[in-house]
Amino acid sequence: MDSKILEIFDLEKNYNSNFKLSINNLYLERNKILSIMGPNGSGKSNLIKLIGMLEKPDKGGIFFNGKNISNGKVDYLKTRKEMAIVFQEPAFFNTTVYNNIILGLKIRKINISSVKEWLDYLIQELKISKLLYRNIKNLSGGEKQRVSLVRSFILNSQLLILDEPLANIDQLSRESLRESLFEVIKTFGKSVIYVTHDRTEAMILADYIAVLNEGRVEQFGEKDEIFHEPANEFIARFAGVETLIYGVVDENRKNVCTVRIYKNDMKVFVTGNAQSGESVVLAIRPEAVILFNINIKPQQSSAMNLFEGKITEIKDIGIFKKIEIDCGFNLTAFVTQDSINRLGLAIGRKIYAAIKASSIHMFKNC
Amino acid sequence: MEVIWEGIKKAIILIFSGNREIYEIIVLTIKVSGVSLLFSVLFGFPLGIVIGLNKFPGKWFVTTIINTGMSFPPVAVGLIVALIIWRNGPLGFLNLMYSPIAMIAAQIIIIFPIIVGIIMTVIAQVNIGLIQQAQSFGANRMQLFWLLLKEIKIPALTAVVAGFGRAVSEVGAVLILGGNIKGETRVLTTATIQMVRMGKFDEAIALVVILLCLSFGINFILTIILRRNGILWIQKS
Repeated sequence: MDSKILEIFDLEKNYNSNFKLSINNLYLERNKILSIMGPNGSGKSNLIKLIGMLEKPDKGGIFFNGKNISNGKVDYLKTRKEMAIVFQEPAFFNTTVYNNIILGLKIRKINISSVKEWLDYLIQELKISKLLYRNIKNLSGGEKQRVSLVRSFILNSQLLILDEPLANIDQLSRESLRESLFEVIKTFGKSVIYVTHDRTEAMILADYIAVLNEGRVEQFGEKDEIFHEPANEFIARFAGVETLIYGVVDENRKNVCTVRIYKNDMKVFVTGNAQSGESVVLAIRPEAVILFNINIKPQQSSAMNLFEGKITEIKDIGIFKKIEIDCGFNLTAFVTQDSINRLGLAIGRKIYAAIKASSIHMFKNC
Repeated sequence: MEVIWEGIKKAIILIFSGNREIYEIIVLTIKVSGVSLLFSVLFGFPLGIVIGLNKFPGKWFVTTIINTGMSFPPVAVGLIVALIIWRNGPLGFLNLMYSPIAMIAAQIIIIFPIIVGIIMTVIAQVNIGLIQQAQSFGANRMQLFWLLLKEIKIPALTAVVAGFGRAVSEVGAVLILGGNIKGETRVLTTATIQMVRMGKFDEAIALVVILLCLSFGINFILTIILRRNGILWIQKS
């Protein structure tokens, strides 16, 4: 059996709104989770409709279980029955929750008793046992999405596609549903495509990530590769990199490059194999920055980069505090409240910021 | 006032006296309207769904034709059908003039656009996401058709009520095509006209009362179905 359950080659689809979806290569290994990330309007939902055979591409091929499902020669009803889709805005038939849940089973002629155990688990895990005999129209957005998840998971399809399942839910419900959903996905154990614009969700859940922008895949690879080695500025921003510095490589000594920042000729050490004179972008994740009290200069530290700076802003972002530092360039760091107290961090205070050369990702400035 | 009261009394007597002619008229009225309604529902529902759901070149023109058909004067329908089935008409050899079949044909032409028009409009309002969801489950065309029909069951029943109401109360076309022949093509509406012409107002009122009872009876049953649907809704929610 092919290790890839889904593979897309040179896919193209033109839409009326002058939007073009163009996917060179994308695949999903069997029983792995692929997260498709991208901003609104990047083509994520369009891609899902093409994979789910709800639309036809103009060019290229979508291979599911080794068979081209986009050339019109495949039994589309049979193939659709091997997938299940949870739409961003789920639609329901005007009947009870239970009838909506079993609708897919009825269409696929699956005996309810054969999936009873799985159904009971889903009902319990996604907390809809009290909703079963209510009319779907009287449910809240969060409750409806729970029902939508149950009715797709119950089909036990080879490929489950979840199109931003948590996007239209209020913050409070989202967090509780996210926890249940991730637990169910783990138990499900089959191939999943999870569309999201929330990098935290992708970071927790995905094995592979594809980042879409303006109808194209900007980067596709393993999760760590996307988050720690973004291919360009767009991916870096999307992957949560707060600090991007533009400069030129002065020299490369044994793969430790000295990069001169355009703005002020400051030098930053980065591991990588760029050529001298090459224009580059440095991406620094906020969690890679270590802050020191100005009175304790950490000269003995292993970090090759040490910058003196002034705190310009402290923002509460939940578990962490986001610290903006002016070190000749804007640097962002995440610290805990405890660190703020210990270091006495405040707006206007001077500090040292240390960053290991290996924690900075460098890519070509195109 | 006395005439109306006499008419109502006569209607009750006519209904319960076992008057064979009256029963024949009632049965034929139900047959003609029922068959034309059944035909219009069987073909009008699928056609309405197909037109409502799909985009195709000339859809606006088809929609205009259907909308025109919804308000097409029955007398004009009667005349057109008569010209076709008249002895020298293209279908004259079928000898359909002054037959219940001719009356049914006319009623179909009258109520078919009503059914198609209502279904078409209602189905166009159905959430496209619902169709995509059913398709993603792997629903075939027939399963999709039944699911959509269930979804629009209340407006669909309204279309049936409207169609039956129009058929049972139709007079112009059935008079032209049926000729109001006693025992053959006489229905409640044409019989009423006959009684008025003969000055038998009490009998005319009796026939109208029966017509109203028939119309009310059918609508009552359908309304109960609608209402039960609504009540179930509230109980289950």
